[in-house]
Amino acid sequence: MQLRIQNLLPSFFKKESALESEIWRKDLSFEKGELIKIVAPSGKGKSSLMNFLYGMRNDYNGTISYDDHDLRRFDREQLARYRKDYISIVFQDLRLFPNQSVFDNIEIKRQLNPFHTSEKIREMTARLGIEDKLGVMSSQCSYGEQQRVAIIRALMQPFDFLLLDEPFSHLDEANAERAMKLMLHEARLRSATIVFADLERIDFYPYTKLFHL
Amino acid sequence: MTADEWKIEHNRTKRSKTMSVSFKPVKPLFQTATSAVSRWFSYIGLGIGVLLLLCSIQMFVNIQQLLKGGSIRKDGYDFISITKTVTNETMGQFEKNLFNSEEIMELKTKPFISDVAPLEANQFQIELSAGGILPFRTNLFLESIENSFLDTVPSSFQWQPGQTTIPIIVSSDFLEIFNVFAPSYDLPQVSAETASGIPVLITCSGDAGREQTFSGRIVAFSDRINSVLVPKTFLDWANLTFKGQKSEHASRLYIKTKDANNTELLRFLDEKNYKINKDKTKFGRMKQIFQGIFSGLAVFGVMVIILALLLFSFYLQLVIARSRESLKLLLELGYSPGWLSSNVSRRFIPAYLIIVIVALALTQLMQWAFHHLVMYDRPELSTPINWTVILAAVILVGLSVITNYKLVRRLVFEN
Repeated sequence: MQLRIQNLLPSFFKKESALESEIWRKDLSFEKGELIKIVAPSGKGKSSLMNFLYGMRNDYNGTISYDDHDLRRFDREQLARYRKDYISIVFQDLRLFPNQSVFDNIEIKRQLNPFHTSEKIREMTARLGIEDKLGVMSSQCSYGEQQRVAIIRALMQPFDFLLLDEPFSHLDEANAERAMKLMLHEARLRSATIVFADLERIDFYPYTKLFHL
Repeated sequence: MTADEWKIEHNRTKRSKTMSVSFKPVKPLFQTATSAVSRWFSYIGLGIGVLLLLCSIQMFVNIQQLLKGGSIRKDGYDFISITKTVTNETMGQFEKNLFNSEEIMELKTKPFISDVAPLEANQFQIELSAGGILPFRTNLFLESIENSFLDTVPSSFQWQPGQTTIPIIVSSDFLEIFNVFAPSYDLPQVSAETASGIPVLITCSGDAGREQTFSGRIVAFSDRINSVLVPKTFLDWANLTFKGQKSEHASRLYIKTKDANNTELLRFLDEKNYKINKDKTKFGRMKQIFQGIFSGLAVFGVMVIILALLLFSFYLQLVIARSRESLKLLLELGYSPGWLSSNVSRRFIPAYLIIVIVALALTQLMQWAFHHLVMYDRPELSTPINWTVILAAVILVGLSVITNYKLVRRLVFEN
């Protein structure tokens, strides 16, 4: 699958503010298997970009297309299918079900289109050090733990694109590195592209393309 | 595409198609304990509405079956007979007590009267005897009316000149009256079937000593017309033959109307001083009133159902509103809005089914009690509920499920 961005600019951005951007108002395409890093300070539209790419917001000018299909023209069912089969995301604000257990939060995503068996949930949570939290309500977990739950949840489905919106904001470096390794491994399994937006570069992400937003 | 990529793609589509997504982990996201009260209220409301509607339909059917034979209605019309009121002033003045053709025409022009037919009478002398079978002899009158005004017209009710047998239709009241006085005259009481089998002799005598005897046979009994009726062709012929003139005046008229209780019709007849045979309309009216009452109850039942469904829609809106965040996140995670709609609405199908089945069972109980305890097992009625009630129940379940699904779908898609 190919992701193409053409002349993209949030409708609430002025054209002049995008002059120095390597993403806004540019014509870019990303192929399967690439590791994309997008770096920008706060307020430059990282989350907006991720939301646009995931089809959650349409307040932009320009075009986003997957395999030449204009994302803006997707109906609700098509969008649901893409999110289930082709695009996965780790939200900056995590978006877990607060009254569900860690296991249920991950299982809800896994059962939708299982790339892994439910045994894999235990394996991954063990790998990221939250195995003992599986039965705990997610609202009772720390932000760092919740962030790891959100990461594992995103890895339960098949995908061609994995969108990461500041996925390590609540993690220490050691935990972040472990999580990154897991995501890289999972992306390789699917020959998928990672689009990773963050405040700064990190050493343990071997990006193939770097963009300043 | 490499072999590995193909394998991944193949697995993905295979899984997408074959794996059925379970609602079990999603279900708790839509459970809100505080809305249980409104849910139970709407269930109870729905139950009452369904019960009212089903009972009304069953009672409607019961009344149809009970009053089947007594209706004076045919093809949606009432048939009533009118006469002129004979007063001391009009006594002995035929032209004042009989309807003439102008008066018949006037009636025909009224919008509340669909048709009018005179009941024409014989202008000559008639004597009836039962031949050698019964020692019975009496003077008689014969009348005729257009066939369309008769409730029962057998195919044998025809006469042509030269035919010596006359088919007769007799009021069922006459048979009843005969059976009342027969014992006191040492005559046997007869059933309708036997009466139909008795050949009678009808002797017509007219001007200039002309006389002819015909054999008569009762071919039907009429609930509607109190008379002895012969085919119009016979009476016209006989009036000409024995009296030398056709019947020009009628003492009785039959009116075909959409509603015998139409106020305009009644006012007009009062003004003209025409008398209505009210007895014959009573049975039909009673049936109409009962049917009206149960139609009203059914409408009330439908209104209660609509109210209950409205209440249920508020409950659903409340559930969806309270689960709005969860629903939004489910959609963001890739859950199909169509799948969510059908699964959320499917949860209520067992409740709807139970409500309608309980209402059906209670309707059956009501019917049993009505048949056994109120109607003392009358054969016209049946203890099992009518099929239309079951059909209505099935339609109600279908309607509830469809409206529920549409509502949930709208609410989900709004997110």
